[in-house]
Amino acid sequence: MKDTVIHATNTIAIRHEMRNIARNLLEIQAVDLILGWKKGILPNKSAPAFIHRPDQVDDLIFDEFCYHNLTKFLLGCPDRQDRIADNEDRLKTAIFVKGCDSRSLIGLIQDNQITRENVYIIGIDCPGLKEEHNTTILAKKCETCYTATPVEYDILIDSPDKRPENPNGLKGFQAHRDLAKIENMPPAERGAYWQQMFQSCIRCYACRNVCPVCSCKECCFDQTLPNWVGKGNNTSDNGFYHLVRAMHVAGRCVSCGECERSCPMHLPVMLLNSKLGLSIEELFDEPPASMNFDVTATLNHFKPEDPEEFM
Amino acid sequence: MKKVGVFVCHCGTNISQTVHCEKLAEAAKTLPGVAFSTEYKYMCSDPGQTMIKEAIAEHGLDRVVVAACSPRMHETTFRKCIDSGGLNPYMLEIANIREQCSWVHSDKDKATAKAGDLVNMAVAKVLKNEQLPSSFIPVHKRALVIGGGIAGIQAALDIADTGYHVDLVEREPSIGGKMAQIDKTFPTMDCSACILTPKMVDASQHPNITIIPYSEVEKVDGYVGNFDVTIRRKASYVDSVKCTGCGLCSEKCPSKKIPSEFECNLGTRPAIYSPFPQAIPNKPVIDRENCRYFKTGKCKICARVCTADAVNFEDQDEMVQIRYGAIVVATGYTLYDHSQYGEYGYGHYKDVISGLEFERLVNASGPTMGKIKRPSDNTEPKNVVFIKCVGSRDKARGHDYCSRACCMYTAKHATMVRDKIKDSQAIIFYMDIRTPGKNYEEFYLRGVEEYGVTYVRGRVSRIYEEGEGENRKLIVQGEDTLLGKQVFVDADMVVLATAMEPQPDAAGFARKIGISYDQNNFFSEAHPKLRPVETLSAGIYLAGACQGPKDIPDTVAQAGAAAAKVVALLSKDEMETEPIVAKVDTDRCSGCGFCIPICPYKAISFTDLTERVHGSVAWGPTGKEVKRQVANVNNGLCQGCGACTVNCRAGALDLLGFTNEQILAEVDSLW
Repeated sequence: MKDTVIHATNTIAIRHEMRNIARNLLEIQAVDLILGWKKGILPNKSAPAFIHRPDQVDDLIFDEFCYHNLTKFLLGCPDRQDRIADNEDRLKTAIFVKGCDSRSLIGLIQDNQITRENVYIIGIDCPGLKEEHNTTILAKKCETCYTATPVEYDILIDSPDKRPENPNGLKGFQAHRDLAKIENMPPAERGAYWQQMFQSCIRCYACRNVCPVCSCKECCFDQTLPNWVGKGNNTSDNGFYHLVRAMHVAGRCVSCGECERSCPMHLPVMLLNSKLGLSIEELFDEPPASMNFDVTATLNHFKPEDPEEFM
Repeated sequence: MKKVGVFVCHCGTNISQTVHCEKLAEAAKTLPGVAFSTEYKYMCSDPGQTMIKEAIAEHGLDRVVVAACSPRMHETTFRKCIDSGGLNPYMLEIANIREQCSWVHSDKDKATAKAGDLVNMAVAKVLKNEQLPSSFIPVHKRALVIGGGIAGIQAALDIADTGYHVDLVEREPSIGGKMAQIDKTFPTMDCSACILTPKMVDASQHPNITIIPYSEVEKVDGYVGNFDVTIRRKASYVDSVKCTGCGLCSEKCPSKKIPSEFECNLGTRPAIYSPFPQAIPNKPVIDRENCRYFKTGKCKICARVCTADAVNFEDQDEMVQIRYGAIVVATGYTLYDHSQYGEYGYGHYKDVISGLEFERLVNASGPTMGKIKRPSDNTEPKNVVFIKCVGSRDKARGHDYCSRACCMYTAKHATMVRDKIKDSQAIIFYMDIRTPGKNYEEFYLRGVEEYGVTYVRGRVSRIYEEGEGENRKLIVQGEDTLLGKQVFVDADMVVLATAMEPQPDAAGFARKIGISYDQNNFFSEAHPKLRPVETLSAGIYLAGACQGPKDIPDTVAQAGAAAAKVVALLSKDEMETEPIVAKVDTDRCSGCGFCIPICPYKAISFTDLTERVHGSVAWGPTGKEVKRQVANVNNGLCQGCGACTVNCRAGALDLLGFTNEQILAEVDSLW
């Protein structure tokens, strides 16, 4: 819809505009819930904010630690289910999105999990986030960013500080230095690397639960009939878990980095996703996942000109 | 309790020479769930099947494993067998211990061990089998034949004769196809038109056939028994009802110098034309590209001379949607374009022509009235050289395959040259001579012995021109491999037996109607030997050269076969559908819809599901009715390919008969 653009000159101004927009939306009763960010309890951490009333809007902030991709909260919003239940035109939910978040929002809409009309999208031009342990370093996930400006919004808070956009896809990005490093390892060492990672995993499923493209009603890892993957916490079953998860989000992952952020063991969970993303990019001549409504996930449609090297 | 019977087949010695069948049957007795196990020399034979039925009754078996050949061979046989033994036909599993074991191994002990594993897996799977009910769908008793060549005409006539209505769609203004362009047919030398045109007339006059000329199939929706086909009737600018076919318009049309497609561009036609005098329907169409009125806005002579007031310049393409029970695809072939052969002149030499062009040159109603004249100067050629396999059997530039008809038609052409021009020479360069048909070899030998046609074994490496005007001639340079020498032959005309290839839009058309095609873009039959006229899409059949190169007798035979299949389908009021289809577990389906675009048969769509939400949903309401979208499979359309099941991350889609649980049970049984 990309209706309105508001210009903000710096972070303070962005925050000011956020609060103004939020207050207005609640006062005119256009929405009954606003998903945003607030200051966290720990330093260098921000937290999701759920704003129901105009007097809460001053909690809203935007800083270099607003990692949270809030879109997944939309799946659990009472608003969403109630509306379906009552089939009546109730109030909407408003949500603040960065560029990467907006892509996962499109993904959720493409996956038929939410409807566009039920969400009011407030986009923010993203300057790139910072690592929480070293605030001078750009967050790793932001190195591969395609979209500093959200690809979809109802209203956009535009900022001159926004990170320059990279039109070249995943190839050649710095964040993939990790990937390149692993791919260059001798097979035994590489095997050991993954074994080490799978061994350290505690199967808490945080990476799955936080992932905005994991929207299945009953995840295959929770099913017992059939028992796809062993439920035990051991290297082999953990490995299966990570590989299957990577396959299930392949072609839809928007590199929002939530999986890696939420991992309590600080495992490089994004690596497998990046590898598959890179392969898809090399194989198919298509834009990255969820860049617009018209192109569905690469692995979910076929075209006559798709490569068929195996045929 | 579940009771499995295991039946091990020796397949004569096919299996038993590499697998200890007795030991295998003995070992199977120890598997969990197995109540009975035996072996026999030919399980598929009548005594073998009786053995299974008796064992079902005697031991109270409720599911059966047959360890024998590939399920593609005899699964249906054994399904019928246990069905008549009182079990649901889908309580059967086949362990393929022939193709996947005895035929590919030699060590008897190891092969027996592997056969044991295969039986083990089949038993594990059959324990999870469930009775699958067949469902029935109505059959719409009307057939569509796409393509009005000899294949389409024959198929339409054969179907119509049994009493079912047929629509025959042809994209050209007239039916007849390539056969209408051909002069004579081998091996009898019947005049092609004399045997084809009566069939065309039969088709046009048959009360059960509707010819839809100058039209193309745009879209095929639906499924076997109920195809909804959208046909585009191209604007012909002539009202076919009013038009009497008098031909005055064509006579008076001022744009007369348009190369005629029917005459392979060797003759001309006007802009308002009927492709040939015997055309059916014999109603002209206006070629918009070349019509003076459409180009300049002035003319309309045809409209003025038409006494029936049939010319309508406002005519538009029209879409019609018709429902059919079955479809015969008979879209035919085209010829390889020899301009890709640089050494044969890239198509620049006027006197290097294709076989079909030669047909027009010898045809009594052709541009030369049946006198063989070379195109460059209309003189009678004395030395005619024929080159076979141009584009066929040529991996580098053409096709790998043999076009099958060329050996015979080249023999025919050479005979005709010798027959019509007494002082002529006909020389054929060939790679092999293939005459595998009734009276074909005799025909070829007659050409050599009675007409003195010369055969030279070898490929032609180059054709070039020498001389000017009257003395201009072509030099054909090639190797005579039997002499081991280079030969140079003076030729007045060269005829190339160019390969038969699929229509240029064949692949796109196949995708449009949902059938598969091979690496050469010929449409694929369901089984090369056992199901040669069916496609993998139920209710769609193939006839003629769209499936592979064919001569007329083979095409007619295949068209008849396709018609028989159509009639067998239409003769039923309703059709039993294969119960091996995808099924949606709506509890697990999140309604993401990813299965919808992935389904090649368009069998999946959304449906609304109303359900009560129970328990403590994080923030959601409980005990409330919610409405949401879930996937729904149309059993009539679903072909059980399983593409959707692997695309469903939550495993909400399952293929009945091959459920995830069954497959995992098979895998687990190996450990």
